[in-house]
Amino acid sequence: MTLCHVPYMNAHSAHTCCPRSVNVVFCTIVPPHLLDHLSRSGDPALYEPARRTLERDALQRTRRRITTVRMAAGTGAGPAAEETAGEPAEKKPRRTIFDAGQSEQLPGEKVRSEGEEPVDDASVNRAYAGLGATFDLYLSVFSRYSIDDAGMPLDATVHYGRDYGNAFWDGERMVFGDGDGEVFRDFTLPVDVIGHELTHGVTQHTANLAYFGQSGALNESLSDVFGSLIKQYGLGQTADAADWLIGDTLFTDRVEGTALRSMKAPGTAYDDDVLGKDPQPATMEDYVHTGSDNGGVHINSGIPNHAFYRLATELGGHAWERAGQIWYDTLTSGSLSPDADFAAFAGATVAAAAGRYGEGGAEQEAVLKSWSLVGVTPADA
Amino acid sequence: MRITVTRTGGFGGLTRRATLRTDGRPDAAELAALARSALAEGRAEPSTGVPDGFHYEIETDDGTTYCADPRLTEAQSALIGKVFREGGTDRG
Ligand SMILES: [Zn+2]
Repeated sequence: MTLCHVPYMNAHSAHTCCPRSVNVVFCTIVPPHLLDHLSRSGDPALYEPARRTLERDALQRTRRRITTVRMAAGTGAGPAAEETAGEPAEKKPRRTIFDAGQSEQLPGEKVRSEGEEPVDDASVNRAYAGLGATFDLYLSVFSRYSIDDAGMPLDATVHYGRDYGNAFWDGERMVFGDGDGEVFRDFTLPVDVIGHELTHGVTQHTANLAYFGQSGALNESLSDVFGSLIKQYGLGQTADAADWLIGDTLFTDRVEGTALRSMKAPGTAYDDDVLGKDPQPATMEDYVHTGSDNGGVHINSGIPNHAFYRLATELGGHAWERAGQIWYDTLTSGSLSPDADFAAFAGATVAAAAGRYGEGGAEQEAVLKSWSLVGVTPADA
Repeated sequence: MRITVTRTGGFGGLTRRATLRTDGRPDAAELAALARSALAEGRAEPSTGVPDGFHYEIETDDGTTYCADPRLTEAQSALIGKVFREGGTDRG
């Protein structure tokens, strides 16, 4: 046996090399003092998102105050009386974080429940916060109440497996590994990864796109789209200010790459002698036919990812507003079949844009243009 | 005996492959037993698995089997871990 260890390889040949510096961006919430400063800036690109974030925070504080008052007033009557009075209960997340202790046993030991104080374990707290941020985007922007739109509890397990460089959705919960120490760091680090996994749950409860071939690549792409939106929303970024990277804090310093995927420029996220080159295509011309990875679901997702990026930047402003709304409407419209291909999905987005913003409007035109740019002809929806 | 594990899928969609030769190893018999169990407990065809879950193909002299996270048996998990930690990487 050889001691030379080159553990990863890429099924696709390496192309011309363009080394990229490791660009670590921490997706923490921007501190209020900085937001306040930015909101008084003369540059609309800076002050608009800052003001919007401050406004949202203020709104949430008000909402929390109302809830507290409501809860206090309701204690005498009890929760049942409150419900029968026709007052809808406050929509809040119900998060529970479990620790697998490097085993592969699920769910693991319960370590933090909703409303409990942070614990000493940063992975647990990041998972808790990331689930909260994802819940918040779905509720505040799309009026979706958790994964199933009926308040489903959000369960996550951290510290799964030994040297486990991955995260997945098992149909009921999000599962995060600590990284393998060679290529990947802790999978709870990027908030877009947490949003990506939770969105697999949303897709399962809505369009339920089959996880194979083009429908699988769409399933993957929706998770990248909403994962990225969660990050952009937290940072208050406009489409042209966002980095559109997926998993930009996952790689160790040994890897020549900025992230796992780039929605802005699929195929350019990494180029490494061990990992190979990012194999994602941006257009149908470079669609990858493979039996591996369920028919390349994490590869060909680059095409719908890039279509969304094109739409969001064409429309401008915050990507979660019009572009995100069109994608969300498409996902939840009921018009997609589980085996929808790119053309069917594209057709459904055109219909969704017309449905929400008007037939022949700027939004519908922008949707048509972005699919055209990636070489997908929308089917009649 | 030669044991090759190919892992595909996962959040990154990256492929990793390693081969372990058991000949001359003190734990050869133990590895052979693990491989037999892993094969007996696996599937003849790859499954769709769960979103972002890893898929594994285990090839030994006795045949090829498929399994996927998070439903590995103890033998499959132990064998895959051993091959990735101690095996040599080949490029297919
Ligand atoms: Zn995924």
